[in-house]
Amino acid sequence: MVTRRSLFAAACVWTLTLFGCSGDDKTPAPAASGTPSASGSAAAAPKAGKELLLFAWSEYVPESVIDGFSKETGITVHYETYASNEEMLSKLLAGGTAYDLIQPSEYTVEALNKQNKLQKLDAANVPNMKNIAPEMRGFPHDPELAFCAPYMAGTVGIVVNTDKVKDPIKGYKDAFSPKYKNRIVVVNDAREMVTWAFATLGIGPNDVTADTLAKAKPVLGEWLKLVKVFDSDSPKTAMLNGDVDVGVIWSGEAAKLYEQDKKYSFVLPEEGTHLSIDHLCIPAGAKNKTGAEMFINYVLRPEISKQISDKFPYLNPNAEARKLLTDAQRANPASYPPALLDKAKARESFRDIGKMSTDVDKLITDLKSAN
Amino acid sequence: MADPTPRKRALGPFGGLLAAPLFVWLLALVVLPNLILIGYAFCDRDDLGQVVPRFSLEAIGRLADPTYVRILLRSLWLSGIATAACLLFGYPVGYYLGRAPERWRSKLLVLVMIPFWTSFLVRTYAWMILLRSEGLINALLQYTRLTSAPVDMLYTEGAVLLGLVYAYLPFTILPIYASAEKLDGALVEAAYDLGASPWRAFVHVILPLTRPGIVAAALFVFIPSIGMFAIADLMGGGRVPLVGNVIQNQFGQGRNWPFGAALGAGLLLMFVALLAWALRKDGEEALHR
Repeated sequence: MVTRRSLFAAACVWTLTLFGCSGDDKTPAPAASGTPSASGSAAAAPKAGKELLLFAWSEYVPESVIDGFSKETGITVHYETYASNEEMLSKLLAGGTAYDLIQPSEYTVEALNKQNKLQKLDAANVPNMKNIAPEMRGFPHDPELAFCAPYMAGTVGIVVNTDKVKDPIKGYKDAFSPKYKNRIVVVNDAREMVTWAFATLGIGPNDVTADTLAKAKPVLGEWLKLVKVFDSDSPKTAMLNGDVDVGVIWSGEAAKLYEQDKKYSFVLPEEGTHLSIDHLCIPAGAKNKTGAEMFINYVLRPEISKQISDKFPYLNPNAEARKLLTDAQRANPASYPPALLDKAKARESFRDIGKMSTDVDKLITDLKSAN
Repeated sequence: MADPTPRKRALGPFGGLLAAPLFVWLLALVVLPNLILIGYAFCDRDDLGQVVPRFSLEAIGRLADPTYVRILLRSLWLSGIATAACLLFGYPVGYYLGRAPERWRSKLLVLVMIPFWTSFLVRTYAWMILLRSEGLINALLQYTRLTSAPVDMLYTEGAVLLGLVYAYLPFTILPIYASAEKLDGALVEAAYDLGASPWRAFVHVILPLTRPGIVAAALFVFIPSIGMFAIADLMGGGRVPLVGNVIQNQFGQGRNWPFGAALGAGLLLMFVALLAWALRKDGEEALHR
């Protein structure tokens, strides 16, 4: 998932909204002739609107990508940000703004699809979908990639500051050991935490029932007592500041730590993990579907997708883009953990759990407040 | 002795129109949203947690759940301590400002307001930089050899308390300043003339006379600090959920808008009761000043 500086993001939305409204008249009409490009994105240009409302995670779409797209197509992109799938859902369903593109994670794609809130992509307009690696296809939320284009993927794994922690850590059980009390940071995400306990108990990440939650409770009760910081926005900060030495955090954040200093080693928990994939999708009610498809196709170009990897070292689902990365980028264990790329291995992804979300949230709130 | 409160001339029959924009504002942006909030609390929810207009008592019923009662009590307790601390530190400052020579008062008051020139979040992040293990305070402590290892300051309940006191201290100082400024010095002098010790003069004269300011200050800290969630998340490391965090979660991952609304409505009623009580006591004077 994504770096979530939710609080700053809120401020950015304001700024963008303010500036977004002022420049409308000056926007040139989308170039009808387009730039003749090998990938054929310009073919649909005549029908595209001149504005594109992109609603995406904060700090996830590089400016260079947006600028490049605008320059090529003449379409002005307004980038509005959110800090969680649920925040995006509420704003989207409230219906105040007709967003053209959203960036949900897999379980949110499923939830939106259940309510018929996504538009099918016109395959002819997104030929670059062919670049998506085979191991990133066939997930239950959209097995044929009919509704969404994988943008970036990742997982949650364990980061260890090997300067301070000498004992080997292989999985959740080692990480949540009493000897690391008050030296642990975890993402502040109830569903994630429950999934870790499930993994050690041999329960699948989507088997969320009152019964399995009851089984996870004692395990999590012991674990959460040891945690010093719960932070989803920027869990790497507590590691960098030396406040903690062990982290169970987003793999992309771990990859950034590793880029900064090799002492931050990344471990894919031996008990098991899940793959999370963020996508670009077109919500029902989008006003510029053609423009949105042009953007998706643009992002799926290898050289553009590479720009995203350069800035945000998550797992790039674009096989052609991966070929353009440096060896060092590809060797980053947090970006490309071999086990996640192996389609033969069982890799699970989150499914929508509907109303059970409330029970998951309550379990974690309960355990935290008991400390 | 002169009447301390000057007589006010009544406004004409259309004087009420002056307040019309305020009433419209309050009605549209305070009363109406709060009514919607209370309405939501009695609604059902769908799979995504959104409100469905179907009567349900599920959300209200959840309020009695021991987990949330415990969190509410903890939030009240923490806000209570923050309020007490703010009064303890804010009262002397407010009083001093109110009694300072007139030409200095406004300048000193600006000093209290200066922190507001910077965003609250930026100031909170600044505290985090000071408090963290490898932060300035710990570096100083170790440099001066007062401690040999970093002291745990950030991500503790103490840090949350510090954050709350820091955030709301100016709101304590201002009402106390207002009532200290209006304090009739002659009454304090009279107390001394009649042989009161400074302590007795304070307890029996100054304190009762500035009481409206104290009540207003206490409400200004207590009420907003209960709902505050950013400080608990940032400075407390998200370890101890406060009622503000719980409410925020219901509209996010918890996917339960009706319950979030029920919690909000519950707090609202509590505040109304608190305010009514304070007004009945002696807050009315404070709000009129």
